[in-house]
Amino acid sequence: MKTIADLELVGFFRQLASDYDIRVPVLLPDGGRAFGSIDDGALALGGGALPTKPTAVFFPQDDTLFAQGSGGELLVPEHSRPLFIAGFTALDLRCLKFIDRFFADGFRDDVYFRTRESAVVATVSGYCGPDGALLPLANGDCDLEFIALRGQWLVRAYSNKGEAIALLIPGEASADAVAEVGALAAIVNPDEEVIKAASALLLVDAVPDSFWEEIAVNCIQCSGCNLVCPTCTCFGVQDWRYADRLERSRMWDSCQLDGFMREAGGHNPLGTDALRTRRRIHHKLAADMTKWGELGCFVCGRCDATCPTGIGIVAIARQMVAQYGSFQAG
Amino acid sequence: MNASATVSLYTPRAAEIVSVADLTPEERLFRLRLCDGSELGHQPGQFVQLSIPGFTEAPISIASSPSRKGCFELAIRRAGFLTGEMHLKKTGDLVGIRGPFGNPFNLAELFDRELLLISGGCGLAPLRSLIQYCGDFPGRFGRVRILYGARNPEFILFRDDLQQWIDSGSFSCSLTVDNVTSGSCYEGATGFVHNLISTLDINPADCSAVIVGPPLMYRAVIDQLHCKGLPDDRIFLSLERQMRCGVGKCGHCTIDHLYCCQDGPVFRLDQLAGVKGAI
Repeated sequence: MKTIADLELVGFFRQLASDYDIRVPVLLPDGGRAFGSIDDGALALGGGALPTKPTAVFFPQDDTLFAQGSGGELLVPEHSRPLFIAGFTALDLRCLKFIDRFFADGFRDDVYFRTRESAVVATVSGYCGPDGALLPLANGDCDLEFIALRGQWLVRAYSNKGEAIALLIPGEASADAVAEVGALAAIVNPDEEVIKAASALLLVDAVPDSFWEEIAVNCIQCSGCNLVCPTCTCFGVQDWRYADRLERSRMWDSCQLDGFMREAGGHNPLGTDALRTRRRIHHKLAADMTKWGELGCFVCGRCDATCPTGIGIVAIARQMVAQYGSFQAG
Repeated sequence: MNASATVSLYTPRAAEIVSVADLTPEERLFRLRLCDGSELGHQPGQFVQLSIPGFTEAPISIASSPSRKGCFELAIRRAGFLTGEMHLKKTGDLVGIRGPFGNPFNLAELFDRELLLISGGCGLAPLRSLIQYCGDFPGRFGRVRILYGARNPEFILFRDDLQQWIDSGSFSCSLTVDNVTSGSCYEGATGFVHNLISTLDINPADCSAVIVGPPLMYRAVIDQLHCKGLPDDRIFLSLERQMRCGVGKCGHCTIDHLYCCQDGPVFRLDQLAGVKGAI
């Protein structure tokens, strides 16, 4: 295991920039944090999970599918250099793994994998949460892990690409520091149990339609819940016309919007706020469970933090369990 | 943009419009041929993503049988942005095609059985693919009965085909319209298509039904088939959803855990048990 000081990080990432497009958490002028290049703002690797959708680095809000030149020839975008991403939390990694499987299943989505496949993903963990709070260890599922511990970052590699990058760091971690990392306590998020209980209720259809009508009254269709969710992958397709070419791109879409499923003939399978709200929650907690054997929500808290009317997934799950929780799954 | 001329999941193949024919005031039949000379390679019940530069894409059912080689046909109602543009296209124009996509009619489950093919409105288009297939391989199926309902006489699709299917002796066809517009010389049955089922002689042990039509039609037709003793595992239906990608990624066609573009559009009714909002 390697070690690097906080002040050395910027230089280290600059060194990697000769081979990679670097995306790291940077400080925004308004005090927020977001993924950016090393020159977009002061490095802010600590501070916890980014408030926006971390998986946007591989599934961006607007992504070109192909371009068509004036002669009709089709051109598919390529990325000349691989991405280096630092700043995913362990929870974000679980979300990334979830959508990796989604985009690989059946028809492999080459647009997603053109950046994802060659990327190096580095996680942050240890005492780098908000106000220095402990973030859970990743222990794999990434190329590198930066573990914050008493003013230093311990760097652990999990892949060949990660090993090659870690070799650029001269400092070796002390045996004490390595032992301290090994002794870091696992973090239990009590909201995970609430989400599981809500999932169990949905899977046996124990939640009546009236519940969704009650919840949906609060939805203002801002779509913030979908736009920050690391596992939301829905998109629409649009054509952009330029003087010399046409570009077809995909853009995030929201199942909370009335037009999400509306067909040209007028039929709308999600024609009410209640149906759309049910769809958002049911998809994560029941449909994904049925399809993948795994919940589509990893309780990152982003939708609850974003929703202006308090109907993020944890808030709804709490209410669901409070109202119908006498049911015992199994 | 760094780019190379490569093929992606989302790039369409060029297809030439070979002919265009009016079917109704709102629907046209387009015969197409892939420009690279290959067959589309579809099965009855599948769909393609029709692509027009500047107008994106839309899912369109394939209206011809794979047994009719060289070309394939799409019956398209002028209903939106892309289909409006498609109706301006002429013979010789090029469009884009992705696919074929989706779960087709499971022919193995239909072979050697009496078939009841029930459609309403545009639903006759995907069913036509199966009807043509039955006509091309008559020994593989039992008696085939076609029930079709249109809005009014003006909107009866595939009039020539319907007559040809009757004349061939391979099919029996029953036609009805929801209502008759004044001044029409139509003298056939009126009423909804599910009303045609009650008078039919159906042996539930030997019959399978296929339903394709507007969403409102399904429940009434299924109720009638249940009255005739047809079990859910012998009822097949093709569901209509707005597939934006056709490959199970965009999320617009989900029905609970099912993706209509991949798990469907053809489902066996028992597979939809407990799936809310499917029909």
